[in-house]
Amino acid sequence: MDQPHNPQLPLTGGRLTLDDVSAVARNGARVHLAKDARQRMAASRAWVASVARGELLGEDGEPMPVYGVNTGYGSLARVRLPLDKIRELSLNLVRSHAAGMGEPVEPEVVRAMMLLRANALAKGASGCRPALVDTLCEMLAEDVVPVVPSRGSCGSSGDLAPLSHLGLVLFRGEEEDEASSGMAWHKGVMMSGLKAMAAAGIPRLIPLPKEGLAICNGAQLTTAYASLAVYDASRLALEADIAASMSFEALRGTLRAFHPGVHVLRPYPGAMASAAAVRGVTAGSSLADSLPEKVQDAYSLRCVPQVHGAVRDGLRFVRGQVEIELNSATDNPIFLLNDPSSNKAFSAGLFHGEPIGLAADHLRLVLCELAAISERRIYRLATGTLSARLPPLLVQKDRPGLGLLAPQTTAAALVAECRSLAWPAAADSIPTCEDQEDMVAMSTTAARRAWQVLHSARRVIAIEMMSAAKALRWRIENNPGTVLGIGTAAAYGCVVAGLSDAMTPSKRIQAVERVLTSGDVLQAVINAGVPLEVS
Amino acid sequence: MSILIDGETLTTAGVHAIADGAEGILGDAARARMNETSPFAEPVLRQKWEWLVGGDAPADDAVLMTSFVHGHCAGTGSPLPAPLVRATLAARANVLAKGFSGVRPMVVEGLLRMLKENVVPQVPRQGSVGTAGCPALSHMASVVLGLGGEAWVSGELRSVETSYLAEAATQKEVLSLINGSTLTTALAAIAVERSRRILAVAMQAAALSFEVVRADTSCLDAEVLGLRGQPGGVVVAERIRAALAGSGIVGAWRKPDAFGIRCTPAVLGAAYDAVEATADIVNRELNGACDNPLVLPGGRVVEAGNFHAAPIALALDHLKIAMAQVAGISERRTFRMTHGRLSGLPSYLAESTGLNSGLMLAQYTAASRTSETKGLAHPASVDSIPTIQHREDHVSMGPGAAYMALELLEATADVVGIELLCGAQGVDLHFAAGEGPLGEGTSATHAAVRERVRTWDRDRVLHPDLSAMSALVRGTRLVGVGPAW
Repeated sequence: MDQPHNPQLPLTGGRLTLDDVSAVARNGARVHLAKDARQRMAASRAWVASVARGELLGEDGEPMPVYGVNTGYGSLARVRLPLDKIRELSLNLVRSHAAGMGEPVEPEVVRAMMLLRANALAKGASGCRPALVDTLCEMLAEDVVPVVPSRGSCGSSGDLAPLSHLGLVLFRGEEEDEASSGMAWHKGVMMSGLKAMAAAGIPRLIPLPKEGLAICNGAQLTTAYASLAVYDASRLALEADIAASMSFEALRGTLRAFHPGVHVLRPYPGAMASAAAVRGVTAGSSLADSLPEKVQDAYSLRCVPQVHGAVRDGLRFVRGQVEIELNSATDNPIFLLNDPSSNKAFSAGLFHGEPIGLAADHLRLVLCELAAISERRIYRLATGTLSARLPPLLVQKDRPGLGLLAPQTTAAALVAECRSLAWPAAADSIPTCEDQEDMVAMSTTAARRAWQVLHSARRVIAIEMMSAAKALRWRIENNPGTVLGIGTAAAYGCVVAGLSDAMTPSKRIQAVERVLTSGDVLQAVINAGVPLEVS
Repeated sequence: MSILIDGETLTTAGVHAIADGAEGILGDAARARMNETSPFAEPVLRQKWEWLVGGDAPADDAVLMTSFVHGHCAGTGSPLPAPLVRATLAARANVLAKGFSGVRPMVVEGLLRMLKENVVPQVPRQGSVGTAGCPALSHMASVVLGLGGEAWVSGELRSVETSYLAEAATQKEVLSLINGSTLTTALAAIAVERSRRILAVAMQAAALSFEVVRADTSCLDAEVLGLRGQPGGVVVAERIRAALAGSGIVGAWRKPDAFGIRCTPAVLGAAYDAVEATADIVNRELNGACDNPLVLPGGRVVEAGNFHAAPIALALDHLKIAMAQVAGISERRTFRMTHGRLSGLPSYLAESTGLNSGLMLAQYTAASRTSETKGLAHPASVDSIPTIQHREDHVSMGPGAAYMALELLEATADVVGIELLCGAQGVDLHFAAGEGPLGEGTSATHAAVRERVRTWDRDRVLHPDLSAMSALVRGTRLVGVGPAW
């Protein structure tokens, strides 16, 4: 792991940002439970403990029934359990709910999931001990990452199965049972949960009543995928503006479509920002507006502000939803200690993944469009009759090769794949749990697919940058005196630094994908003085 | 085990066997046919280059060939799993063995040698649109021709600089290595075989569920199914009847069940017919000349469109819908079995529910996986994006359809596995209540489940049971065939 970017980030149940999630999930930033949050958690725990001890009575004079504390789960809430049995409930829960199938979720996503669950508990509405959050923070610090199957969660009631795999590692019974301790990576090596925690020197906890539920009842895997995907997608949108600017110059586009006065007339914030970005990146270019006979460009150039702008607006919506979820209690029941009624437990639906599921579906759509318009620009760069007299496919006599022939096809395949994964996952629901959970979110699928589509979309943008760089090189070599825009020049330098003529297109795409993922291109353009920021 | 590569008799089962480790052997008749149309000396690569690019090809032949292959190596993303690469090599060998490609037998022999030695080219999964020059095939060709392509050789990934062909390749041979619908077809062959396996198990899982819900077997009546006349329905009813023969639990008592039970022959039967229809199309394509240009007897050379993967892409999209139905109805039976008020058994098929959640999450998992199949059933082949300077202006998106199909089948296998798990658990509850016996087939299915997973008495970690059941449904050594993104 890299050096911590933010040495000690306090978890308060509020104020967690997408930057924080990325820093903790990817760069090993440390977190701890804030003091206020600790007090809130302890107070809600005390109330749950009194229920678990049978000190509070319901209207029938029996111990007050509180869901998941002294009742069964799901439709089994109708079953009340005697006090001497309820200690078994939490362990039974995480074990029987540790379902799921398929390949493991990527470690960075699991780390994000752990962080989000810790922050949700820090809200102090879940009735669990602060020790749970402390242990999660230690696991993050010591790099103990549970192995979580990626398939099979409905996102309601939350990501029960994925979070239960975290529960297996975190919790133990009175007697240690390695076979029930799940699996985890410790510093990248996979082993049983018991061994991983022992290797990290972190004691596993014996769960108290409600604590099993506190760990697993919320859509944190959904939100982990969505957080990292929208964080990356927001940067990819800026990188797409850069790629479009490079293509724009290579195709000798007309800047009038980007005039601020135009965009004030249809004032979508995304369109205004995108138009400004392209103006900024291309500033000083001798190629822009260099074909006076051209009245207007094709849509993939001229309508960049509309398409990239709509993408930006969509991303803002998605970020907004995710930022709320990052700082929410997502549990059931939740405990409102300030409520005057004697029963502080409120069974509700805060775990339901729908808000993020719908957002994640939208995230996939916007990524599809970002990739699709990029592919059309690649096609123009590659097509002799469309490219303002660039050589067909950018094949040059002195450099044998097929130029953009195959990379453009690859981009088309990637776009088609993005589209075929754009079906709305959250539009589906299948009744579960004896019809008690009769409207589920399917949000986990929505978000995991967004994460997937993000990677394909990024590859398309990489192909555009590679293609545009090749075209710009031809312009520079064939037109002495060509001056690139300030941002375009910076991006061009960054892209071509990693390329050589000897590489296959496959290797070239991979190289550019790397400088996009690392953020190097974006940073180079910003360093050149173009003010690009997520908006 | 070895599979005949003769351009005429290769089947989806043969491709699956080779994917799973079998060898391929070039048939004598095919060798003779190939010798009739080869060697073929026309500078087709040069012509192709000039058509695609719209400019002069490199003057030097070696540079031309290398540039053409390397120029097509534009795949991206995670590598194609080894069994799928083997399937593709085998399917390509068979196309060339058909003898209409102007390719010498030594090319097929080189491909077959790679299969025998288990040389597996590293092929990035994404980038092929299912027409003409195929990036995936090009990554393979750069290994076959020793042009520096990467491959797994004796367990290690290395750059291959020596050709697997006995002699230097002609221009036509280079072109024939990378041109055609073969990637889509090979993947489709695997998808067909996986579908057949899953469907066969799904019928047994359904039979076990019939026992659990004490089904009315009238819906399986041979005469009734015959009156409708859909062949798949007849087959499915017959198999389930056979599985239930001897059961003391089910019977024909005119007490109609819910559709998830009663309409099993209709739904699984429709899927059966769809899978077999797909198999026919794929089997034709496996033995069809999907190359371009084709060299006909007498030496006539024809440029046509046999490489376009549309026939397979459409069939795959149909297969996807069919196998999504299999998941859909299976999940409803799981829902019914785990639903106390619908099954007459304890909720979630567990003792002392409340303290135990039993198989509650098994049904959730089935619901989630079923939902995924609906999404993955969306058609890939309706999309097309113009490529290569308007020349390839309609493409099939067949590889995308195939990847989606293979991923969908993983989900369907998971769902059917969960039905098996719940079915066996339900039967155990019947046994505990003194009911029985099971039918001959359902008894064997129950035993197969219990060999792998013990009865759920009190709550334990569920995931290993689900994984074991999914493996039972897949029932094949092919691992990692599902897509990694």
